[in-house]
Amino acid sequence: MTLREITRALFFIEILKGLALTLKTMFTPAVTRRYPKVKRPVKPGFRGLHALAKDENGRMKCVGCGLCGAYCPSKCIYIYTSEGEDHTKTVDRYEIEVLRCIYCGFCVEACPFGAITLSEHYEYSDYSREPFYMTKEKLLANWDKYFTREKGRNYFKKFWRPLSEDFGTPEGQAVFKKRIQGVKE
Amino acid sequence: MKEIVQMIPFLGSIPLAVNIVVILINIAIVLAITLLHVAYATYWERKVIGHMQVRLGPIEVGWHGLLQPIADGVKLFFKEDIIPANSDKPLFYLAPVIFMVSALTSLSVLPFFDGFVIANINIGLLFLFAMSSLGAYGIILSGWASNSKYSFLGSLRSTSQVISYEIAMGLSLVGVMMTAGSLNLSDIVRAQQERWFVIPQFLGFFIFVVSAFAETNRLPFDLPEAESELVAGYFTEYSGFRFALFFLGEYTAMLIMSSIAALCFLGGWTIPAFITGWFPVLLKLPAWFWVVVFLAKVYAFMFFYYWVRATLPRYRYDQLMVIGWKILIPLALFNIVLTGTLRIMGVIRP
Repeated sequence: MTLREITRALFFIEILKGLALTLKTMFTPAVTRRYPKVKRPVKPGFRGLHALAKDENGRMKCVGCGLCGAYCPSKCIYIYTSEGEDHTKTVDRYEIEVLRCIYCGFCVEACPFGAITLSEHYEYSDYSREPFYMTKEKLLANWDKYFTREKGRNYFKKFWRPLSEDFGTPEGQAVFKKRIQGVKE
Repeated sequence: MKEIVQMIPFLGSIPLAVNIVVILINIAIVLAITLLHVAYATYWERKVIGHMQVRLGPIEVGWHGLLQPIADGVKLFFKEDIIPANSDKPLFYLAPVIFMVSALTSLSVLPFFDGFVIANINIGLLFLFAMSSLGAYGIILSGWASNSKYSFLGSLRSTSQVISYEIAMGLSLVGVMMTAGSLNLSDIVRAQQERWFVIPQFLGFFIFVVSAFAETNRLPFDLPEAESELVAGYFTEYSGFRFALFFLGEYTAMLIMSSIAALCFLGGWTIPAFITGWFPVLLKLPAWFWVVVFLAKVYAFMFFYYWVRATLPRYRYDQLMVIGWKILIPLALFNIVLTGTLRIMGVIRP
């Protein structure tokens, strides 16, 4: 042992260094976020509670094609459709079992109309299972709640707009979107 | 009865009943104040360690979490009292009581300020040792009675640790006794009015601090509790108010160790003579004021407890034994020889 090592051992230099560090840390501000009082800002493109989009006229965008349900890895989307008055397809029930959802966002990607979206809302704990079974009405209400204001509109535009808006189809190819619009007219 | 009363010089002059009432009031005051301090010692520890780990510590209950200890107490009081089916029931009931009582009894010989001590006995220091050893019975009985492997391992560890370090601690305080020439804690404090014993007895102080950590089962020597390996050690099976008794006992023991450190090495309620020399006003303050000085020293030492806990990892068991038997005890013996030599040479005078 050198003299240096002996002094280090004898006067607990390492321990004293550690004590100095903890004392210094004591006077630095804490990193704790006091959650219910101070909300955590969500990351861009956060995938939270689902919502069913409405168009400008306040009508549900969903046409009941069932692509989202087919795509869903956890198979938690249930869609029931029927034939309407003028032979249009009407969506009777659109239900999501939120407790089974894994928030992958595939349903949003699958939807050609941007009819299903995920909001930034993540605080929806409850005491029973029923509130987590999202019916069509609840999902539409979610849209009014989280997407009608400026922040929600921007969020939708930035992250959840339908892919068909960005990627067009080659000329001459039969286009799903157009044909649907034709039916509407 | 009268003869016994006459035998005690101070009691003979006042009727016995008044004396008993006065002593009971003293005990009530000391107990109430100490338990309050113990409760807030837990709060303070959580706060200090929290901030040292860049957290906030308790903050929601009351202003800055000040009501947290009371909330904890209420919670523990109303919790279900679970007793393991195969436990040794009488011992299971008795163990926390022994632990708590031995910790609280030690309070009776501590002089909080000049003239305020419940039992001004001549063997105060020895009494403290006896009581801290008695606490080990609570620990080993709780481990045995719980009928659980974790508890038993924890209590075995604790017992061997307490026994090992008690020797070192006792020997470290022999230096203090030799320097002060008394075992009475008030006399030891009075002997330090000129100069604190931490200066001539720095070796003893070091040994005392290390063994005090081990004696109270605190980090870095918390092997009996060792949350990460033994769940909670000897009180794994305890719940509700029995658990609270262990918890309070541990913190009371810490408070008492800090008090011994303050009384025997840091001058108790006194302020060094050179400071009172500069500010003679201090001497005119009433006697009870000095309890603040005493508490400041106790809390400085308590803070050191927390500080070390937030810094150091746990020692291995063989390391703990090596430190106790191969380093601290020889050092303490050397300290005694050194102190004796210095006294004969006339460097240290009582």
